[in-house]
Amino acid sequence: MFRKILIANRGEIALRILRACRELGISTVAVYSDADRAAPHVLEADEAYRLGPPPAPESYLRGDLILDIARRTAANAIHPGYGFLSENADFAQACEDAAIRFIGPRPSAMRILGSKTNARQAADEAGMPRTPGCVHGLASPEEALDVAAAIGYPVMLKAAAGGGGKGMRAVLRAEDLPSAFASASSEAERAFGSGEVYLEKLIERPRHIEIQLLADENGHCVSLGERECSVQRRHQKVLEEAPSAVVDEDLRRRMGEAAVRLALSAGYTNAGTVEFLLDGDRNFYFLEMNTRLQVEHPVTELVTGHDLVHLQIRIAQGEPLPFAQRDIHLRGHAIECRIYAEDPGNNFMPSPGRITRLLQPGGPGIREDSGIYEGWVVPVDYDPMLSKLIAYAPTRALAIARMLRALDEYVIGGIRTNLDLFRQILRDPDFRAAGIDTGYLDRLLAASSPDQVNPASSAPAIAAVAIFEATKNASNGSAAALPSSASAWKTAARREGIGGTDWTPRRP
Amino acid sequence: MTFNLEIDGQIRQVEIDPADPPGQWRIRIDGEEVEADAHLIRPGVMSLIIAGQSHRLVLDAHPTEPALHAGPQRIPYRVEDPRSLRSRRRHAGSASPLPVRASMPGRIVRLLVEKGEVVAAHQGVIVVEAMKMQNELKSPKNGRVAEIRVSPGDTVAAGDILAIID
Repeated sequence: MFRKILIANRGEIALRILRACRELGISTVAVYSDADRAAPHVLEADEAYRLGPPPAPESYLRGDLILDIARRTAANAIHPGYGFLSENADFAQACEDAAIRFIGPRPSAMRILGSKTNARQAADEAGMPRTPGCVHGLASPEEALDVAAAIGYPVMLKAAAGGGGKGMRAVLRAEDLPSAFASASSEAERAFGSGEVYLEKLIERPRHIEIQLLADENGHCVSLGERECSVQRRHQKVLEEAPSAVVDEDLRRRMGEAAVRLALSAGYTNAGTVEFLLDGDRNFYFLEMNTRLQVEHPVTELVTGHDLVHLQIRIAQGEPLPFAQRDIHLRGHAIECRIYAEDPGNNFMPSPGRITRLLQPGGPGIREDSGIYEGWVVPVDYDPMLSKLIAYAPTRALAIARMLRALDEYVIGGIRTNLDLFRQILRDPDFRAAGIDTGYLDRLLAASSPDQVNPASSAPAIAAVAIFEATKNASNGSAAALPSSASAWKTAARREGIGGTDWTPRRP
Repeated sequence: MTFNLEIDGQIRQVEIDPADPPGQWRIRIDGEEVEADAHLIRPGVMSLIIAGQSHRLVLDAHPTEPALHAGPQRIPYRVEDPRSLRSRRRHAGSASPLPVRASMPGRIVRLLVEKGEVVAAHQGVIVVEAMKMQNELKSPKNGRVAEIRVSPGDTVAAGDILAIID
């Protein structure tokens, strides 16, 4: 059994993992950069150690420092979260060499499935359908032209080491291919340190459907159903749901079995996700495998009732999976919104800064995995995700209603957020009819004007501004005060004779 | 107390007087009277009841752009100050030097112009990176680069003056 786990991450996911450790009676070690000294994951951990300056290469990507802290604190295992070192096979190998468990797959499985070209070869060996195209990196623009001519346009160029839409180019005509090849390759080189690109046939208007897997170390692997992640902006997921409105029992079983076959063929263990594209005729094609916990894992947790982080830890401890495939049943519907510090009214520019006001939603069926608090300064150095808001209800329509209700309770002040974007999506008739594909959101945004609708009545807002203005200087007695919960408490405290020494009567 | 309030793109004249008991207010918006019952839940968070309708209003407290959250809406506003009106008029004339300011905290990636260079309004001047996204800051006017106060690699805060265009 693990006594202590080091969490090599930050933000909401570090807090998410920390909470799971607490629940399992495992003590926690946080690491932080200078930008995160006051971050919630540091505040909540049992131990916390500094890594270095804010930039990730000098802090959260310093595997050597993280391993050193793990050794010094006698941590049994390291949970990498997502991003940063989570898909770095060399880091996983270094952990193994130091006899510290990396909570994730073995380095060998990461090497096979982490590279998209290697994974496409593995998919072929596992008999899994994939998009037509090459299974090796392209050596030259000439080779790209040959492959594209063989499979037909339009085609998609992709980085072998890629993710998040970087190094990706859709190419409609042969004359555009050489320049797209050069720019995709150099973008991939900059982003991932490898310029290897490959080419596949572009599936028109696909849905992005992914299968969650869990595999223990005794060769037992189950699928926990699908997630629909088609709502994307520039290839980045924005909203995810489980189950998908277009996946029925039969398709779910076939996709799940294909994903399990791929994982077992590569010796995969722990949590992982196999991503597919689904075309208009509901044919599925292997896209890639993510060898880590996904951002959107909570929607699967809600519809299956299983805690994926608990299970990751138990699998890493060598325990067998506590259930079989036939025990997995999906119940209800879950939707997740990724709340970002960005301004949809200004081309989604990041909006870092201090969170001056925070009112968080609650009530039935609402889960918020958050990495913020009132007063927290969102650093400029990392991904601007603030929190994940997740709604769970018996049906998709009720989950949408519940999410809209929670969004209206949510106030984040001082910075701009994309809360309004989700209201727009959740009210859109196409989304409500589940008529979505990976280009859906970009089309919705292009068609709608950025101007907001006028409020029904501005009188309450005007009245509130007036009262805030009139009571601005209330604390120094120069203007009228407002009754407040705090002053009522002080009045009561004084009446009861329990303090209130700083209380002074105020006259309106 | 009387002031002008710019809200939703309109300028409204607002008059406010405390009424009895404490927490009751008489407010005239462009002459139309509203009676409001206000209670402060915590700093910046107000419960307001007007004619039986209950509202939760939250001050955004954004450092440069004040706004109010009313239900699902974020409503920017500005309390009119005669001095700021004058300074805005001066800006429009663009005869005097104008600053290029950082719109958000970030790091300077590169300078697109040199001191002394002639620039056109909306021409890119400085590239700032925040959260792995690059933002090109533009010249506010036609003119000449009088001053550049930053170099690549510098960290800047929102509102910092990065350059002056004369």
